Amino acid sequence: MLDAIDKNLLKTVADLEGLPKGAYNIRKNGKLLSRQVSANINIESNAEGTGIVVTIKPGTKNESVHIPVILSQAGLYDVVYNSFIIGDDAEVTIVAGCGIHCGSSEPEGHAGIHDFQVGKRATVTYVEKHYASGDGKGRRSLNPTTRVFLAEGARAEMELTQIGGVDEANRLNEAELGPGSLLLITERVLTDGDQTAVSRNNIVLKGAGSRANMISRSVMKGRSKQIFYAMMDAQNRCFGHIECDAIIMDNGTNETMPSLKAGHPDAELTHEASIGKIANDQLTKLMSLGLDYDQAVNRIIQGFLK
Amino acid sequence: MLELKDLYFTVQDDENGSRVKRNIVDGISFTFEKGKFYAITGPNGSGKTTLAKLIMGVNPVSEGAILFNGEDVTSLSINQRAKAGIAYSFQQPARFKGITFRDLLTIATGIEDENKLLEILSRVGICPLSFLDKEVDAKLSGGEIKKIELATTIASNPKLAIYDEPDTGIDLWTIGPMVSLLKKELADNRTTTIVVSHNRAFLEAADVVIIIHSGKIVYQGNLEGAMPLLDDLSVCTYRESCEGERDAGCYR
Repeated sequence: MLDAIDKNLLKTVADLEGLPKGAYNIRKNGKLLSRQVSANINIESNAEGTGIVVTIKPGTKNESVHIPVILSQAGLYDVVYNSFIIGDDAEVTIVAGCGIHCGSSEPEGHAGIHDFQVGKRATVTYVEKHYASGDGKGRRSLNPTTRVFLAEGARAEMELTQIGGVDEANRLNEAELGPGSLLLITERVLTDGDQTAVSRNNIVLKGAGSRANMISRSVMKGRSKQIFYAMMDAQNRCFGHIECDAIIMDNGTNETMPSLKAGHPDAELTHEASIGKIANDQLTKLMSLGLDYDQAVNRIIQGFLK
Repeated sequence: MLELKDLYFTVQDDENGSRVKRNIVDGISFTFEKGKFYAITGPNGSGKTTLAKLIMGVNPVSEGAILFNGEDVTSLSINQRAKAGIAYSFQQPARFKGITFRDLLTIATGIEDENKLLEILSRVGICPLSFLDKEVDAKLSGGEIKKIELATTIASNPKLAIYDEPDTGIDLWTIGPMVSLLKKELADNRTTTIVVSHNRAFLEAADVVIIIHSGKIVYQGNLEGAMPLLDDLSVCTYRESCEGERDAGCYR
């Protein structure tokens, strides 16, 4: 059922050696490949047949669900609409990810449109990895959208990673935070060659006492380009922070636009942004511990994107 | 074990629109002996750190030669010198994102085993065990990062260890143990130790005090013999520019 390419993609995007334990839904080339539900986690196709609805029962603890997508069919652009309904007080880890293997000159792409309704006091950890491989010259594009709605006291931790090989990425992250809720987003993107990646983030801090922290780490190699927009809109007493760091290697370029909007006198919003080459003192330090120049560069980038 | 032969580090200064050469290190020759403790001191801007960085290869030598255990290392890179057995503690240590103290220790020693890393920490003594997974980032205090810097230097078991102002940001209660630690490493492993410092505790611990002034060695010997010159040099050299004729009383 899983061939060698599938296995490699699954391992890279979902850390899976084979089929996962617990609930999962594996989509290959636009079709369901394999699905399993558990006592607390239900997965079913949506009414339109364009994606899945994952429902986590209230109070579910320490469970995970894997929903990887793999693409290896030339010329296919797969669009999928997935919904996650996380019951009150549940604690769940969702591992998504898309691996593209492109072996021809035809383009391949995937757009995963994910929306999350996180119930009261529920906690969701969402891990998403994007990766493309293959010798083909076809353009590989990944255009994910995530929309998160946090109810009172809910917490979402999102790790969004694009590891390499993706020619074109257009990401949109939107979030609306209820009272006392917490959102932590860490986005890591590595581009090379002529690749481009654009990330748009709109975070609305609606509820009193809501908190959001958005961290972006970008590395541009070759002639690649990344553009990062992050907007925090504070509509109540709340706290928001944006931290975006970009490392330029070779002839990469970057545009970073953090933006803060306070619509309430007790809103507290901060941001820090930096773009530049690897700091010389970091290279010197690692070389003084015995690494050569290239090893030191790799180690610094590896840590930065960790 | 370390021989500096007529060493120069020269920069181009812009003076009234014309380029003028200035020697930051101005013809220094000196031989460091194995297993001895050296303290290099002198006024700010005298060339102490530049000399230390020439030895590590952080700054390129303009003229002269550096011999380490008989081998000419003048043209070796920083990492080649590290492999040859020279280690360096920076005055202002680098801060990273996503690199922990554990990572630095592993890079310095090649050791990944947790118990062995904890052994290193207890040998270094001044770092609490809880430091191991701390990120070496901007959140660390000045004192914490200096302890980590010193620990990575010691952990690499160097033949020659250079510490550039190791006491910056360190609390008074840690300086004594830090001096003892360097002396113990020297006694146990015959690590040739060079400390660049203004701190009396290090000057007292040293076998040889070297005073550098305007890029030249102006004294080498014991601390007692150095005192008259140190008193002389402590007179503010910026007096004319900042306080006119009167000594403002600040101690440099």
